[in-house]
Amino acid sequence: MSAQALETPVRSALGGLLLAMADDEFVLGYWDSEWTGIAPVLEEDVAFASLAQDEIGHAQALYQLLADLEGGDPDELAYGRPPEGYRHARLLDHPRTDWAFSVARRFLYDTADAARLDALAASAYEPLAEVVAKMRREETYHLLHMHAWVERLATGGEEPRARLAAALERLWPDALCVLGGIDGDDLLAQAGVLAEPMAAVRRRWLAGLAPELARLDLPGPPDAHTGPCRGPGRTDDFRWLWEQFTMVRRSDPEAVW
Amino acid sequence: MSGQPMQVYEVFRREREGGPMQHAGNLLAPDPELARHYAREFYGRRQESVRLWIVPRSAILDLDDPDLLQPPFDRSFKKPAGYSTEIKAKLAEARSRAGTGKDGE
Amino acid sequence: MSESARVQEFNRHVASGGKVEATDWMPEEYRRAVCRFVEMHANSELMGVLPEREWILRAPTLKRKLALSAKVQDEVGHAQLLYRVAEDLGKPRQAMLADLLAGRTKFHNVFHYPTESWADVGIIAWLVDAAAIVAQQALRESSYAPYARTMKKICWEESVHILHGRDVVLTMVNGTARQRALVQDALERWWGPLMQMHGPRTDPAKDRDLAWRIKNKDNETLRQEFLTVYVPRIREIGLEPPDPELRQDDTGRWRYTEPDWKELYAVVTGHGPRSAERLAFRRLHYAETQWVRDTIMAAPVAA
Repeated sequence: MSAQALETPVRSALGGLLLAMADDEFVLGYWDSEWTGIAPVLEEDVAFASLAQDEIGHAQALYQLLADLEGGDPDELAYGRPPEGYRHARLLDHPRTDWAFSVARRFLYDTADAARLDALAASAYEPLAEVVAKMRREETYHLLHMHAWVERLATGGEEPRARLAAALERLWPDALCVLGGIDGDDLLAQAGVLAEPMAAVRRRWLAGLAPELARLDLPGPPDAHTGPCRGPGRTDDFRWLWEQFTMVRRSDPEAVW
Repeated sequence: MSGQPMQVYEVFRREREGGPMQHAGNLLAPDPELARHYAREFYGRRQESVRLWIVPRSAILDLDDPDLLQPPFDRSFKKPAGYSTEIKAKLAEARSRAGTGKDGE
Repeated sequence: MSESARVQEFNRHVASGGKVEATDWMPEEYRRAVCRFVEMHANSELMGVLPEREWILRAPTLKRKLALSAKVQDEVGHAQLLYRVAEDLGKPRQAMLADLLAGRTKFHNVFHYPTESWADVGIIAWLVDAAAIVAQQALRESSYAPYARTMKKICWEESVHILHGRDVVLTMVNGTARQRALVQDALERWWGPLMQMHGPRTDPAKDRDLAWRIKNKDNETLRQEFLTVYVPRIREIGLEPPDPELRQDDTGRWRYTEPDWKELYAVVTGHGPRSAERLAFRRLHYAETQWVRDTIMAAPVAA
């Protein structure tokens, strides 16, 4: 199905979904890129940097899809909005914090994203299905790597366990937002853009994670998230990040970089 | 907390289909799973390899004894170069006899 | 064979282009010299991450962010490769990191200086990396074979960094007046450290690293090579290095204002504008992640 074939409400919801996904990937890619040069072990530094770069690559592809649908240009979309204009999930408002936190956040995000991508793999909107197919292949490595780290921290002794558990407790409510906050997701499901509404995707994600969390005796999710999932009301941490990533562009708005 | 030391893993890579596995380098990892991830990073993240072998250095059997690998007695009977000079001379002689040499000799 | 005869045989071997592997016999002095040389190189790659790292968050386009992230990731990778080479000579990585963080070992001068704008990112990736590559290409012939092989991989990976740097600089010089001014300013601030980077002229006859062919070209040769290729490239895009004495003489040799070698010495011994801050930054983050290293070195081995 092409963009022209979409009815206006569906098209509008699709735009919202693409922006949300692109912003999720973009913001996560930025936070995780902070570990470059200071990760716990040199080999892991290189690995984690690849994960962050992959997210930026995915964001780029998703912003391009959005630009194809609604006009504009990926860099303008990525860098040209005020902080309140970003639609990433609450989970990505948190800063990098420490290694356990970054591992926990990535674990929650990558597994939720995998469920989201599963629900888009056969999307009736072909351009998105194509991008999703590529993303899923790259995400294979992300999932392997994050499961490896969660396993190691959970079974590595009291301190790593405690740090991981504390991080998960803090992050779980906001993690529910990755598969939330998409206006018109029921329309998207009806139109075949999404395989099912987000609530169902979220249930599948949580059901998929439950055995591993039980086996490792790690905290599980609360019943719901309170408050808006994707803004407004961005954290100071995100505002700081926004200042960083828009700094050069704002210094010379007419310039090409 | 008692530690087990990180181990060195040697990495071999195949650059393109049909090519040989070649030694590419080595890395430190705490266990085989992460060793595979790190091998992918160091020797595959630029799409420069189609296959990797990751081997603990301790598993490699090393042979560098020159008595075994470079023994002194003549072994030209095992190599093509051992025949090239003789054959060249004999071929010239045979052609000459048969009148099939250069300039119709 | 007596020890001294063995050493002489070894010296003849490397002087005539022979190679040395990690498991070969080598004089203790050679082992120490290689280890020190490679350790300083590894330290430089690791510290070199810091000036550019700040700009990973500030890259102004998606493409630039990807390119800069990849470049800095490569530097970390190079540090890993080089620490591995040095470690196989007998010094554990932990000991090398401890010495670096305590200020006991050195890293190259250029990484002790601040970065002030996005133009610095371009100038560093283009010119600082170019000056480094001139040295690194020569090291591909090092007598110490594991180092030589690693340098081949590093040189291959560095080639894209210089292109990225040149692309950033060209985009800016073709851009707004502000951008051009930023680039010229960055060039002026980095020129001094660049000229000092290869080190003072040394007497080849007294340089053990040259005698053992750990390195194969002396400092002045490397500097001349860099100037020969890069001064024309700098000038052809309308930029000018801030040295009125800079010119080639009749023999093609570059003349220049003598670099401040006292500054170089002060900087590499830890008194550069950002030396203390960057080492403190590294110490902080290393300490903060100690629990992770302790964990994975104690974790049960996965199947």
